[in-house]
Amino acid sequence: MIDLRIKVDPLPIDEPLIVRLQAAGSPAQSDSDAILTEVEGDRREYELNGFSFAVYGANDTLDGDVLMMLPGTTTAHRLIRAGSKHNTLLVTEQCDQLCVMCSQPPKKYHTDLFEQFALAASLAPQGAMIGISGGEPLLHKDRLFRMLEDVKSRRPDVGFHILTNAQHLSTADLDMLQRLDHERILWGVPLYSATPENHDRIVGKSGAFANLERGLALLMRAGASLELRSVVMQQNWQDLPALADYVSTRLSFLTIWAIMQLERIGYARMNWRETFQDTSTEFEQIARAIDVATARGLKAALYNFPLCSVPPAYREYAPSTISDWKRKYLDFCLNCRAQKTCGGFFEWYSAPEGFASLGPL
Amino acid sequence: MPVVPLKFRPHTDELLIFADDAGGYFKSDHAFLHRYACGQLTSSDRAFLTANGHAYNSVGDLAFSGFEHRFAERLYLPRELDYVILVPTLRCNLACGYCQVSRVNETTPGFDWNDVTLEAVIKFLDSLSAKKIKVEFQGGEPLLRLDIITKVRDFCRQRFEACEIVICTNLQEVDAPAWDLLAEPDIFVSTSLDGNRITHQKQRTVTDRGTDRFFANLEFAVSHLGPEKISALPTLDPHRAPTPHEVIDTYLSYGIRSIYLRPVNHQGFARKKFDARTSAAAWNAYHASFIDALIEHNWSSEVAVEEYYFVHCLRRVLRSGHNGHVDLRNPNIVGLSYLVIDYDGKIYPTDEARMVTRVGQFDLSMGDVSTGVSPETIDSLNVEALNNFHPDCVHCPYQAFCGVDLVDDISRYGRIDLPKHLTDFCQRHMSIFDRIFAMIYSDDPKIQKTLALWSGAPRFDPLLAKVHR
Ligand code: SF4
Ligand code: SF4
Repeated sequence: MIDLRIKVDPLPIDEPLIVRLQAAGSPAQSDSDAILTEVEGDRREYELNGFSFAVYGANDTLDGDVLMMLPGTTTAHRLIRAGSKHNTLLVTEQCDQLCVMCSQPPKKYHTDLFEQFALAASLAPQGAMIGISGGEPLLHKDRLFRMLEDVKSRRPDVGFHILTNAQHLSTADLDMLQRLDHERILWGVPLYSATPENHDRIVGKSGAFANLERGLALLMRAGASLELRSVVMQQNWQDLPALADYVSTRLSFLTIWAIMQLERIGYARMNWRETFQDTSTEFEQIARAIDVATARGLKAALYNFPLCSVPPAYREYAPSTISDWKRKYLDFCLNCRAQKTCGGFFEWYSAPEGFASLGPL
Repeated sequence: MPVVPLKFRPHTDELLIFADDAGGYFKSDHAFLHRYACGQLTSSDRAFLTANGHAYNSVGDLAFSGFEHRFAERLYLPRELDYVILVPTLRCNLACGYCQVSRVNETTPGFDWNDVTLEAVIKFLDSLSAKKIKVEFQGGEPLLRLDIITKVRDFCRQRFEACEIVICTNLQEVDAPAWDLLAEPDIFVSTSLDGNRITHQKQRTVTDRGTDRFFANLEFAVSHLGPEKISALPTLDPHRAPTPHEVIDTYLSYGIRSIYLRPVNHQGFARKKFDARTSAAAWNAYHASFIDALIEHNWSSEVAVEEYYFVHCLRRVLRSGHNGHVDLRNPNIVGLSYLVIDYDGKIYPTDEARMVTRVGQFDLSMGDVSTGVSPETIDSLNVEALNNFHPDCVHCPYQAFCGVDLVDDISRYGRIDLPKHLTDFCQRHMSIFDRIFAMIYSDDPKIQKTLALWSGAPRFDPLLAKVHR
């Protein structure tokens, strides 16, 4: 597991500060660039506009990384790791849904760091695709939209993958949504069942399905790119083929339909026994969903499935998706020929409670 | 709850196929038809129609928008011009019976581009706004003008971000410099292989020596360029065609798994030699037996084989947005995203339009590469190139999957307003779509396997074959 926090000597700041770390001798390209001046053991000293500060303990390179330092703390957040494709900004922890398998359970209070995040994104490497997650980012949609526009004007090459429950879009947002760059913004929206009551039960909010339909219709009208996300659980296992049918009549505009395995953290860990569906022993409903979507010309993909848990005919649908910093492999993976293409397991995966039928390929 | 208009047609059993304008389909019975027509839909009818995407609650809701999207995606929107078919010479070293119109003898002077034409073509290519280009060389036998191909290739490589060059050659005489060219990574080969050796010789190569030479060249091409760089089409006369198994075996022996069956073309001088005017029925029967043979083959073989056009039609039934093939589009707007430049520099919207003009039926040219494109005639054709409001197609459940081919109508009948069901185009497509629906609604595991292979999915799911009662 790669730590996304890093120890620093506290700086005398009273506002959160965004810095980009640069290799020794490189020219500062912006006011936020800190240049490496000295390395001593695990201590690296940087200079930022005449001030110096130190960071500790990272064992990989930090060149190009963007950090956020908070006043009075000795840990900095590694918001953007230049060498990784898995950078995510957690813009709020508030949410209006309460999903049974939420990996990032909501909190009551919100700290607004949109300005800092916008600056961080505009310091990202060329062509970066940055995740935006929560909580529910659209609870602060005006701030979010401003950030997207702001970054677009400064860095049109930077893209965003926004995870949202699409509950809070209205026709008033249509103009805004249309203005965004559909090539560079991918909306990741969850849908768990085509039966409204089942979806509402899973997300813990009555009326959510109806709202979601409105939100999705708006995204379609705006020409947005959609990644539909359906986590597979005991709660929606029987619903998957009908969901595929629903997706192919209602949502044929989608870019990709992600059928996802559970991440054993947050509520999913708490509710694991009554939620986790062992798809290594029983795959039929997923197979049908993929069969229907593919024949209909839609791109379906399996996210977070270890390759050996998937029947051979469906392995080509399972790319490696678990983010590098929270990915692990098990003992038997050592002997597996598929390790390079397999995404392995979440760091918090527990074998005794997990898939029953796995093994090296 | 409004229901979108449904069109229907009797199916093999007592049931009917229903389909809407966005290509959503299902099967049901006459009782349902009666309830639908008389406004007596039951709640279970409504639930089914909603789930299957034929009904919505209010304009703009997700069911409505989803329908709109599928409908819109079925309409072909021409892109910018990024595909040109070049005919640098009409001369050819073969004299195939069905090709009289598009060839002259190898030694006949005056049927090649001259330097002025070549220069004008290069200028024309230079004027395009596309970033990528596809160039297809036809003839005559284009390899007789390797010099021209080389010049156009060099120009395209430096002018465009990417280019793909297809050479439609009879593979009869290929010298060392030509083989070198064909081996280059952006060059592809398209050739004719008329089913099997006997038919190929009868229709094309005539002598044993000529036939030997062709098959030796094909063999060499497959082994040196790789089967993925070669496509081959059989042009067949259904009355004198080899058996489907012979065709499949011949193609497989060269590693070619996609077979695009073409009926001997009725156009031009060929119509004197072959009676193709009334041949739709014969062709349909042969084509159907070919599909039967493919289903049998796919059931027992590791190596799946397809009939290219049938698979294209199947995918058009199953999905929206499958508009990639120039022969089946709606609206079939021509003269915009691709063009043909003939041996004399004249520009045509399609290869068929070139033939129609050459035999003197109608002038379907659209200008000259030196003086520029003049699209008036073609524009007036394009206005009619939509099947959505055609008085016959509007009642046909296959309308959303089908297309229009006005140049074919002109070539066969000299007019574009014949009742559709009398046209060869309609008869062939009606037959293909009837067959596709017979397959979709079959529970024969052999057919299911081939459907899965051809639809690209691991298995063919019953949700793709809904029956409502
Ligand atoms: S053995 Fe490990 S690496 Fe191999 S497919 Fe299974 S989970 Fe992936
Ligand atoms: S051409 Fe024939 S098969 Fe095609 S839509 Fe028209 S009536 Fe139907």
